[in-house]
Amino acid sequence: MLADLIESIAKIVFIFSVNLGFFAPVLGWVERKQSAVMQDRIGANRADIFGYTAIGLFHSIADAIKVLCKEDFIPTGANRFFHTVAPFVSLVPAIATFSVIPFGGSYTLFGHNVHLVIADLDVGILFIFALASLSTYGVVLAGWSSRSNWSLLGGLRASGQMLSYEVAMGLTIIGVIMVYGSLKLTDIGAMQADFFRWGIFMQPLGFILFLACAIAENKRAPFDVPEAESELVAGYFTEYSGLKFVMFWMGEFLEIVTIGGIVTTLFFGAWHLPFVTDQMLLSFFQFAGPNGAVILAMLVNIATFFAKVVFFIWLQMAIRWTLPRFRYDQIMRLCWKMILPLALINILITGLVVLLWIK
Amino acid sequence: MVGVPLATLKPKRVRKNIELTLWEKLYVFEVLRGLFITTKHFVSNMIGFVIPPKGEKRSIFTVYYPEEKVTLPPAYRGRPVLVAREDGTAKCVACGLCEKICPACAIAIVGGETANEERYPVKYTLDMSRCVYCGYCEEVCPKEAIVMSSEYEGLAQRDRRNMLYPKEKLLRSEENVKGRIEYIRRIYSKCSY
Repeated sequence: MLADLIESIAKIVFIFSVNLGFFAPVLGWVERKQSAVMQDRIGANRADIFGYTAIGLFHSIADAIKVLCKEDFIPTGANRFFHTVAPFVSLVPAIATFSVIPFGGSYTLFGHNVHLVIADLDVGILFIFALASLSTYGVVLAGWSSRSNWSLLGGLRASGQMLSYEVAMGLTIIGVIMVYGSLKLTDIGAMQADFFRWGIFMQPLGFILFLACAIAENKRAPFDVPEAESELVAGYFTEYSGLKFVMFWMGEFLEIVTIGGIVTTLFFGAWHLPFVTDQMLLSFFQFAGPNGAVILAMLVNIATFFAKVVFFIWLQMAIRWTLPRFRYDQIMRLCWKMILPLALINILITGLVVLLWIK
Repeated sequence: MVGVPLATLKPKRVRKNIELTLWEKLYVFEVLRGLFITTKHFVSNMIGFVIPPKGEKRSIFTVYYPEEKVTLPPAYRGRPVLVAREDGTAKCVACGLCEKICPACAIAIVGGETANEERYPVKYTLDMSRCVYCGYCEEVCPKEAIVMSSEYEGLAQRDRRNMLYPKEKLLRSEENVKGRIEYIRRIYSKCSY
């Protein structure tokens, strides 16, 4: 009982500190620096503490201090309650989704079975989609309650886009679920121990469609019409300043991490190194004794998982800074006329293959 | 030296076809091609941070102001300055043409007569907060007495009264603005009016 409690608290603390403490500020730095390096320039690197510039990492601290010192205002005539609540409704699902993503396998440590996932739900993937639907409310509330033209347009565009892409996203995943036969994310991760059973080989079309839908759900370029920096001032978060603005912004970045985590778990072998099984790892670390070997194997798996997540974060940033923005009718047409039929065809073909070959 | 040498320019064939080919309609492959190009820039710049590229070719185009400064071409229109003769007086004869043509009405001249019965500006005030750096005063001046230098620093003041530059603050020696004077002789001699 106590061991369970300690294990849960340790996992929660780990994920929270990694997510909020590491990924959120570092992703702000990554966005600036990666976009700069891709565009042949240096990026922001002038913020320093006592003359030491840490290649621009201190800009995140400078941002945090600046944001805390700003005035927090609500526009006149705006709906005060919804204006205040909207950032929370947008941020909390982005953080909570990470609780079902496994960042390591299951091990026996000190005679106790440890699963490296905060909540091993039986309906893993559905939980993620349910929470992602909640974040739509945050955007729509922000757009509507701000009593401003730009916010309203941004919120309307966002509502249409996010709703459509949720439908498509659900359908793209069904192929993966059919192949692996389970909704539990830990099961899907465990079944990818063999390199050639990784999701990307089983469902290449599903991967591309899911990545497109997930980026559209996150309102990142090329689908960032709700935000639309050059068209709508700042879209649905025009009337926000200070900490509320940062909550929206942080929610967007944390969702990038979550998408990286989901894509890794479903398609790229979760925590497995290619061609290395758990047994090989444990026998490799034999010198540290049984518990030490398990701890070292755990660390290797966690490191592999986060390395893959970092690669997908890099990929999403690269896509953002490469592609021009879609027009709004192109976004809708892409979802309903291209991704949805392709997802249905994917389900059909996957069903045939599963029925005829794998069984 | 600005501009690309003509010998190195090669004509590029532009596809005038508006319709997308099937390969392009499957947007994914074009996205991958675009990602490949930007990733190439990313990787080469990241390597360039560790191992700087040899030779004159810069990979990063940021000019690290204020440690590095941009070399400005002679066509650059900076702050207007009055050209001084060798003895330190202004070449300006207070004809009033620059005052008349300035679109922002930034110049105010009070003319007078020297002992040698020559005109000279007793007071020449250029309101820097009104100047739009268009270069009309330089173009119209019959004596090449006012030119646009390539200065761009130190133009901001905290008090609007400090932005009314008197004649003493505007004087520069002829050596200082020689490049600009040669340039304007070259381009304004081509005009047919």
